[in-house]
Amino acid sequence: MIELKNVTKRFGNFTAVDNLSLTIPQGEFFGFLGPNGAGKTTTIKMIVGLFTPTSGDIIVNGYDILTHPIEAKQSIGYVPDIPFLYEKLTGREFFYFIGGLFRIPKTLLHDRIAELIDHFEIGSWVDKRTEDYSQGMKQRTTIAAALLHHPKTIIIDEPMIGLDPRSAKIVRETLRLQSKNGVSILMSTHSLSFAEELCDRFGIINNGRLVWCDTREQLQIHKARYDGKFESVFLEMTKQ
Amino acid sequence: MLIHILRYKFLSYIKTTFDRRLVTIVRGVGSLFVFGGFAYAAYYFASEATRFMLDHTRTGLYLFHTFISMMLFVFFIAVNLGNVIVSYSTLYRSMEVSFLLTKPISFTSIFVLKFLDNFFYSSTTLFLGAFMMLLGYGNYFGYPLYYLAGVMLFVLVPFMFLSACLAVLILMAIMKLAGRIGFRKVIAGLFMIYFFFIYIFFDSSNPMRLVERLNRFFPNMDTYLIQSTPEFLRYLPNQWVAEFLYYSARGEMMNALPYAAILLFVTAAAFSVCLYVAHRFYYRSWLVSLHVRPTVQAHTDPARKHFFDFRSQSSFSSQIEVLLKKEVLTFFREASQWIHLVVMIILTILFSVSVSNLNLRSHVFDMHLITYLVLFAFGGFMVGSLALRFVFPLIGLEGQAFWTLRTSPIKESKIFLVKFFMGFLIVFILAEYIAISSNIPFIKIIEKKPLLLWFGIFSAFWISLTTVALNLGFGGYFANYFERNPIRAASTQGATLTFLITIIYLIVLVVLVFVPISAYFTAVFRFQYFPMKLIVLPGALIAVFSYLLSTFGFITGLRSMRRDF
Repeated sequence: MIELKNVTKRFGNFTAVDNLSLTIPQGEFFGFLGPNGAGKTTTIKMIVGLFTPTSGDIIVNGYDILTHPIEAKQSIGYVPDIPFLYEKLTGREFFYFIGGLFRIPKTLLHDRIAELIDHFEIGSWVDKRTEDYSQGMKQRTTIAAALLHHPKTIIIDEPMIGLDPRSAKIVRETLRLQSKNGVSILMSTHSLSFAEELCDRFGIINNGRLVWCDTREQLQIHKARYDGKFESVFLEMTKQ
Repeated sequence: MLIHILRYKFLSYIKTTFDRRLVTIVRGVGSLFVFGGFAYAAYYFASEATRFMLDHTRTGLYLFHTFISMMLFVFFIAVNLGNVIVSYSTLYRSMEVSFLLTKPISFTSIFVLKFLDNFFYSSTTLFLGAFMMLLGYGNYFGYPLYYLAGVMLFVLVPFMFLSACLAVLILMAIMKLAGRIGFRKVIAGLFMIYFFFIYIFFDSSNPMRLVERLNRFFPNMDTYLIQSTPEFLRYLPNQWVAEFLYYSARGEMMNALPYAAILLFVTAAAFSVCLYVAHRFYYRSWLVSLHVRPTVQAHTDPARKHFFDFRSQSSFSSQIEVLLKKEVLTFFREASQWIHLVVMIILTILFSVSVSNLNLRSHVFDMHLITYLVLFAFGGFMVGSLALRFVFPLIGLEGQAFWTLRTSPIKESKIFLVKFFMGFLIVFILAEYIAISSNIPFIKIIEKKPLLLWFGIFSAFWISLTTVALNLGFGGYFANYFERNPIRAASTQGATLTFLITIIYLIVLVVLVFVPISAYFTAVFRFQYFPMKLIVLPGALIAVFSYLLSTFGFITGLRSMRRDF
């Protein structure tokens, strides 16, 4: 579960996120949408502890990310928008590295890594250094690493960048399965069709403010008001 | 095209350096003070050293310039080696080169761009130091400022430029050979050539032997020296600079100018050769660099376990274990890191072996005191250099992958401490080695009384602790997570500022130990009693001062790790 209470983030005079309040209950798949520079990544970075909010509270699975960061982070699986990895480590070493940081016992970790390598079909190159990986390979490695510790919450920023159709299918099915298993997911994406296919609820952020937030059913009603396309709803909501 | 790119690079530099944010202004003013202090110290040192050598010890003018030639040789080799290592990253590993290669720009233009970038970016502090030393030297002889500016521009800059040109030529040769016989063999061969060359130089111009021989020719030292200078030394650029300065000092400009002309001519010729080789070979060598693996194979055999294998069990907690293993593996899989470490360790060993064999036969109080203080300061300088090169970049080198640590359930202090201990371990071992070696000559002369040795060990601990804490902390504060090149990270403005603070710290330590060491040698040579409290109090002051600075470094580093990423 993720709760954002009146969260604001300012960089100097610029307000990137403006008094944002949002609750994502356990098991919900939430699509976080918005144009470029709307504040999606800033919000995500605050939730996972990379940015400190200027004001407001962020609670992840009952823990305040500012006052109890260790407990909060233990329950999060985060996939950033650009999958930077340690270039001199192999994919397998990266998994062990992440597993160690999340204190997963070695015996469990061996099996879990084998399972994820198999699931994401990365066995043929997982023992190469990540400096030789393509964008898609890095993305798959990052997503697999985020699932190592069975997180209660997944925060995923632009998951489809650089993925080939087969990898995209694997990621889609993985996220769907996680959601079914009760994991709450906050996914930021520019792909409206992808969001529409997977998400239970949607939020559109523009200029740092949440301008629209509703369920899949309400989206259908909104779409009917326009030309039946999610794109038209999105463009109307984010009109300057 | 070249001017067009340089213009935008310059604009970008100006915008990032001179932005109007308060933090940048404060940082700029701070840097100005520290650089100003450094510049003045270099000027003062050169001025006083010249005065001391020529007036106090009555070293002949030619002998003095022979010493300058030796220092210039070391400087030439240092600039050369530094440029070989840095150029590898700027010419072959830079994202900017990859970008420019996709544009309609000639390979030679890209080469010139990166070569100049490399030379001027990494040599700013060297230029400042060299110019201030020249001013200090010129002050003794009463040279006007415009003359010294001319010497800087037409003698010292070409001298450094020549060194950089040779470095790039060597690098391109390395790349060509590496494609055929492997990177490791080429690097090993290159080290051997460098050491052979350094050995030959110092064997033929051995300063100790030189001074001993000179005593026989006193007072006609200059005449003897001019005649006895080995023939091959006359072909070295450091000798040209030294001869130019010598004849200038004698007011014989007609004898001096040919040396400047030779230097300029050879530098221009070397640069032309560089351009020709780059035109013919740079792009091909860049392609070769894509396939040359500077370390072991990039594809790890999953069945084979090595000592730092993540799968192996460890007695550390899982977080500490993976942090340590990650630090070790990423360090030793980066060629520029381990090669530079090997070079630094060899230099430290060479320094320590030479120093431990120092013969302090004469019971001259001044000589022992000055030698002790110089060795103490130089040892500290080496420790500071090690910390700057290997500890300062530690946090910044996490790069964009730092998100993995920042979003993991681990305390920043734990990450910081692991990095601290990794850096401290290397620096501390080398610092103690230097401290013990540099105290051996004094133990020999003062009948094996170990007080100075214990004091050296004690000081080395605090110097290691402080320099590592300062470099790690400031390295975090000035971290540029986009910079992937450790050498460039260790030569940024922030790194230079940190190094200058380290120098100031070392000067304070030298001031603190001056009185007790002076009293100690007086007591030893006059067979008097030496009260222990004379050394305990400065020792305590060193500990307290170092502890405070280390704490400052720790706090700065920890706070920097909690900043927005």
